[in-house]
Amino acid sequence: MKTERLTTQRSRRAKLLLYGLLCVLAVPFVFPTWWMVTSSLKSANDIFAFPPSILPADPSLSAYARVFEFAPFAAQYFNSMYIAAVVTVGTLAVSSLAGYAFARIRFPGHNLLFLVVLVGLLIPSEVTIVPLFQLFNGLGMVDTHWPLLLVPIFGAPSVLATLIMRQFFIALPAEVEEAGRMDGLGRLGLYWRIALPLSRPALGAVAIFSFLHSWNLYLEPVVFLSTPEKFTLPQALTQFTDAYGGPMWDVQLSAATLSALPVLIVFVVAQRQFVEGLAHTGLKG
Amino acid sequence: MRKPARILLAAAAAAPLSLAACGGGDEGPVTLRMTTWSASEDHLAMLSEIADAYIADHPDVEAIEFDPLPFEGYTSTLTTQIAGDNAPDLAWILENSAPDFVSSGALVPLDETLSGTDGYEYDDLIPAATELWREGDELYAYPFSTSPFGVFVNNDLLAAAGQPTAAELIASGEWTWERVVEAGAAVHAQSGVDGLVIRDFDYSGWDNLSTLWTGWGASAWSEDGTECGFDDPEMTAALTFMHDAVFAQEAMPGPGTTADFFAGEAAMTVTQISRAGLLAEAEFGWDLVPLPAGPAGEYSVIGQAGLGVLTVAPHPEEAADFLAYLTNPENSAKLAQYFPPPRESQLTAEVLGQANPLLTPEQLQTVVIDRIDAGVVKPGHTGQAQLDQAVRAALDPLWTPDADVAGVLAELCTAIEPLLAQ
Amino acid sequence: MTRTEVKTAVPGRVQTRPGRPGWWTARRRDHLAGFLFVAPQLAGTVLFVILPLGLMFWYSFHDWNVLAGGFTWTGGENYGRLAQDPALPGVLGTTAMFSIGLVALNLSLALVLAILLDQKLRGTIVFRTIFFSPVAVTLVAWTIVWRFLLQDDGGVNGLLSTIGVEGPNWLRGETTAMVAVVVVQVLKNVGLNMVLFLAALQGVPKELYEASTIDGAGAWTRFRRITMPMISPTILLTSIITVVGSLQVFAQIDVLTSGGPGTSTTVLVYYLYQNAFQFHDFGYGATLSVLLFAIVLVLTVIQWQMRRKWVVHED
Repeated sequence: MKTERLTTQRSRRAKLLLYGLLCVLAVPFVFPTWWMVTSSLKSANDIFAFPPSILPADPSLSAYARVFEFAPFAAQYFNSMYIAAVVTVGTLAVSSLAGYAFARIRFPGHNLLFLVVLVGLLIPSEVTIVPLFQLFNGLGMVDTHWPLLLVPIFGAPSVLATLIMRQFFIALPAEVEEAGRMDGLGRLGLYWRIALPLSRPALGAVAIFSFLHSWNLYLEPVVFLSTPEKFTLPQALTQFTDAYGGPMWDVQLSAATLSALPVLIVFVVAQRQFVEGLAHTGLKG
Repeated sequence: MRKPARILLAAAAAAPLSLAACGGGDEGPVTLRMTTWSASEDHLAMLSEIADAYIADHPDVEAIEFDPLPFEGYTSTLTTQIAGDNAPDLAWILENSAPDFVSSGALVPLDETLSGTDGYEYDDLIPAATELWREGDELYAYPFSTSPFGVFVNNDLLAAAGQPTAAELIASGEWTWERVVEAGAAVHAQSGVDGLVIRDFDYSGWDNLSTLWTGWGASAWSEDGTECGFDDPEMTAALTFMHDAVFAQEAMPGPGTTADFFAGEAAMTVTQISRAGLLAEAEFGWDLVPLPAGPAGEYSVIGQAGLGVLTVAPHPEEAADFLAYLTNPENSAKLAQYFPPPRESQLTAEVLGQANPLLTPEQLQTVVIDRIDAGVVKPGHTGQAQLDQAVRAALDPLWTPDADVAGVLAELCTAIEPLLAQ
Repeated sequence: MTRTEVKTAVPGRVQTRPGRPGWWTARRRDHLAGFLFVAPQLAGTVLFVILPLGLMFWYSFHDWNVLAGGFTWTGGENYGRLAQDPALPGVLGTTAMFSIGLVALNLSLALVLAILLDQKLRGTIVFRTIFFSPVAVTLVAWTIVWRFLLQDDGGVNGLLSTIGVEGPNWLRGETTAMVAVVVVQVLKNVGLNMVLFLAALQGVPKELYEASTIDGAGAWTRFRRITMPMISPTILLTSIITVVGSLQVFAQIDVLTSGGPGTSTTVLVYYLYQNAFQFHDFGYGATLSVLLFAIVLVLTVIQWQMRRKWVVHED
């Protein structure tokens, strides 16, 4: 009896310790977002008060109104949304097809071609931005959304997606497809009817990766787009300066909050699917 | 230009499309494109208005587009466009990249077009204002914004610290750096807000410090640009003074601290007069005065922005013609609403007053008009971007409390001498 | 993919099923399907990766000053310059420090967080959400906010002062600036690796632990003998992705430190960007790109080779 109580006491203490540790670790993750949201409600002067106040003394949404006055922010918001959506859907199609073929079809040269594709994983976008700009300029696609759609869907950013899909499909037992083959399904049928429905978790992970990647793109929009109505959010965020290049902190923070909150909220609501999707990427090997 | 790249690309992907795109030929009305770093609706509306009037009279130009690029990384984006064969016809050019653009042949010479345009009054341009944009005798860009540096003063904060106002100091002949720092230190000691901020310096935009060291007669490099000036006794004295002001007297905020004068967070700030617009809603009593005198006497520094036509532009001739129209006396007066013009005849308290309703005629007279002729521009040199980066990196060790000023400056010169020699 | 395509595929099988004689065998048809499936990705790779990479390689043999408009063949001159660039050893050292720091901190923190969250505790979902949430925040917003927070009088030092610690001027000291950029980058992305580790941990069969507990193995031994080998494939993949990613960090450094103070945070990508886009020297920028690519390639090959040594049950 006595020892049992001791263990529960000890485990309770361990639990408290664990919670304490988690709380401390959580601070640097929560603090920036908290600071961003509360500061956006403060006036420009209060943002830099030292020591910073935890809650705005006199919260005001006026900076939010100025976000929309100053820039075609709604249009920019829409741009980011639809580009990320199209990129996500496109990447899902391209990477699941390629991933499936690399994993399950033994066509000649598949290993070599896979290595060729993998090169895309190794290149920072700063390296290829000038040639890409020349390419799209030659195609007359500068200052359109095409480069922001085509490159992520077909180019380097989708390679990670293809890798994830390949790893997932490799792990599928062969018997699963055997039944389909008996029914006389062709490759497309096997892919669409059998493999794809099973790969929902991996598709979820790819969707998250590609959505976030597109949503975060910074260098490419800055280089390719020049009309404010066509801008995307990250690019728009750096535009909140007065006519002399001086930053308008409160407006910038409001815009930053607006850009982050919806994704955060969707994430919090759907976080189980998010995390489990990522967890089942097949990266487990 | 870069034909190999073009051919490769065309072969690889773009052949049918680029042929179609190039099929336009040279005939027919053209569309001009101009890049700016201002996304301000007011600025763009004014430019569009002038452009519309121009198009009405010029059937060879169909449309003029204004492309605002982010101020942050403006020159890089512009460069990428040029590298990608998508150069604009006209571009605003930042002061600190002026030498690179002017000396590299990237810009079309303008003398002939401007002086050949009826009613342009080319001689009206002030030599001091165009100096930075010349190479030899040729003018390569038009300094559409020529704005001297002055000191904005928050009289309320000075009064609260028991300090005389700037106007009183000027009247008694005490408007010197020494006295300004003393007043700034008093404000900081009294209320904790910062005394004096050299705006946009932020411990990286070091060229803004020329607003201080020119008062000591110092300069970043010799007139011909070959010799480093940072280890001269004048420069050492000026930066020692600044170092003390930051770390000993605490009259200026240290690195990594943001203090916005226009939000009431500093008693004084050194900046261009065009920032006066930020004071429209100021809730404190303020004044604008010239830069204080240094040991070398009174002086002034001007900041500029240029407008040029790119050599690789699709339509350089039309663009140069539009530039001449945009900056003729009549339109220059319109531009003066936002950008102080480089024209002698328009540098009057009256014209500038329309543009800067917040400033009094006296302020405009003493800070702008009396000083623009004698104004020193911020330091510029070929290979400026590289120099800029090298000086910033070498100056960083200076901004610690126990830095050895002379030692840091000597090392700085060692670092940049190879660049100056280029 | 649309449904109609699938429908046409289904009747198609009926016709082809009776095994056409000759060249067009089922095997060849399968090969064709394989090629067609990878075709979009492959075309994209060739057009948007290989071709630009080839062009960069081509440019690296030229002197290309964008402003002056010159583009001339200089042979290996840029490579000679690379070998003698006095700034390069410093830049490479900084890059190595940054990458090692980032990878070490990212992977160990991700593993620690995953282990903590793997405990049977109520409310781990809340913490999981918290640790993952920065991943969902726009990168630019995240970095802009941290620039404010890391100022001398900013939020981090404000927070430290409430517990009586006087924080340093983070972005102005050489060491602290490096620490700051690494930590900010890790906080942003550690959630991804954490989730992957968490999944791997939960995939370790419980029986293995039970057996070892009976054998009397301690927690550390169990971790070393069972957990580590079981999750080693995940460690390999996350480390490859993290190493490659660490060599590509650009926007964060640009916003936070611009490579300073001095050149203490000028990593290779940033140096490349400076040369190409700020100094207008695209030829040398291209040469640095080639160097960066070579480094990434070599590191990845090494890691891939190393997997045979320590990754258990690799297929």
